[in-house]
Amino acid sequence: MNEWTIAIIKVVFIWSWTLLIATVMTWVERRGSALIQDRLGPNIAGPFGLFQPLADGIKLFTKEEFAPKHAHKILFTLGPVLFALQAFSAYAVIPFGDKIVINAKEIVLQVADVNIGFLFVLAVGSLAVYGFVVGGWGSNNKYSLLGGLRATAQLLSYEVPLGLAMLAVCMTYSSFSLREISLDQTGTFLGFLPNWGIFKQPLGFLVFIVAAYAEANRVPFDLPEAESELVAGYHTEYGGMRLGLYLFGEYVNLYTLSALMVTIYFGAWHIPYIDMSAYLSPFAYGIASFFVFFIKCAFFLWLFVWVRWTIPRFRFDQLMGLGWKSLIPLGLLNLFVTAFFIQISL
Amino acid sequence: MAKPVVQRKYTLSERIYLVEIIKGLGLTWKHFVFNFRASLKRGPHTVPTCWQYPWDRREIAPIFRGEHMLSLDDKGREKCIACGMCARICPAQCITVKKGKVQEGEEDRYAGKFYPVSFEVDLLRCIFCGFCEETCPKNAIMLGQGYELAQYQGKDCILTRDKLLENYRSALESGNLKPPRKKVPVVGAKEKKPAKSKAQEKTEAQEA
Repeated sequence: MNEWTIAIIKVVFIWSWTLLIATVMTWVERRGSALIQDRLGPNIAGPFGLFQPLADGIKLFTKEEFAPKHAHKILFTLGPVLFALQAFSAYAVIPFGDKIVINAKEIVLQVADVNIGFLFVLAVGSLAVYGFVVGGWGSNNKYSLLGGLRATAQLLSYEVPLGLAMLAVCMTYSSFSLREISLDQTGTFLGFLPNWGIFKQPLGFLVFIVAAYAEANRVPFDLPEAESELVAGYHTEYGGMRLGLYLFGEYVNLYTLSALMVTIYFGAWHIPYIDMSAYLSPFAYGIASFFVFFIKCAFFLWLFVWVRWTIPRFRFDQLMGLGWKSLIPLGLLNLFVTAFFIQISL
Repeated sequence: MAKPVVQRKYTLSERIYLVEIIKGLGLTWKHFVFNFRASLKRGPHTVPTCWQYPWDRREIAPIFRGEHMLSLDDKGREKCIACGMCARICPAQCITVKKGKVQEGEEDRYAGKFYPVSFEVDLLRCIFCGFCEETCPKNAIMLGQGYELAQYQGKDCILTRDKLLENYRSALESGNLKPPRKKVPVVGAKEKKPAKSKAQEKTEAQEA
């Protein structure tokens, strides 16, 4: 197996894995919301209704690819593609495990360990704006356009606190590479805490998670789709698999953000106080690290669902106020405090 | 007068908002756990607000007005005498009755002198008001408990005599028959006095 084969296998694996997670997440979202709201949710198709996403997929694929009469044909088709493209490519630099040894060959469980790390995630993540605004503009519908505009304003505003929070992380670990950051989180911090990012950057984590919810367009910040005000926002006119791409893209984004949170704040694949690699064979360790990482991600994925069905939506001025008047000052404060501690420890 | 709006000052924890969110998460978590446990239980109707329809049905009142049927008397004869009163009173005009004379040798099948050659109820028109049942002099037509009346074809929505009789038989088997209905007081009708015996009349006359 040469480098290329390994790379292609990794790409195909992580692509299908995120797609699988996104598919299962649609089911989790529906069952979770149902159980929170004293309902049952889809429980007929397969065990516990687990095949419901398959049925949904078949439905979306076989539906007519309808475009409104006065829609801009190219932009209308391009919107969901752009959105899904960025969603699937953002995961490339995030690790999904430590490393696995097969046939005495060490394989790092990460598609690309680039040294600009989360700058890449930020850059690709901000391309999501194009998906929204192109789709909203191409639909030639006032609700879609409003949704697209709101998405632009929201995503641009919340990228700043997201970047500030990540910058403080970068200062703490003096690296942009997500793999190096993960490897740095072994052992303990202050003698008794696990050496995780959240204990070094509690304020940064708070800023990050709020901004992440806004970046993923989730309730309480789902202003771009706001079904009670804008019909369905930027995807009002979409149906069939084009809508499916938007919905899948949203869940893939959730997975990416959860994985990012786990990587930089929750010790990636490390279990606190236990060094797994000391007890397991290299092959088993690779698989175990993958699952530990995934379980941590699963918690954050569930948190996205849980929060969605708990909190009502913000008003648009409240959203902007929170972004510019609270999160950005907090992010800056966090940056200064981090810089101060780095200075005095030197 | 409108109620004056009282502006309450938010406490610090409310203004920070995060504390309140965590409280809210706790509440939804309680609901989630309760319903999750309930959904794992076997048997119908485990989650309190959900009725899982095909398996989990609500109880129907005994006087429910559902799908029609033509009843038989205790000798197994058709009660209907094809008088046409149901067809006459029906506000939606959905009943069509064709009258036929009972021939000799058919008395074990029909209770009266006449019988319905055809008896059709158009369910697409029927409004389930129950007038037919109320006006029937022989308690022949009844509204049963069936309510799953959807069909693929419009023509299947017309109940024929055979179907109506079959409805009665199946209701009889499953014990879903209505209790015998109460006498409905008719406005202006004279109350029947209990028949007096001749001996009583005599004594009354003597007293007078």
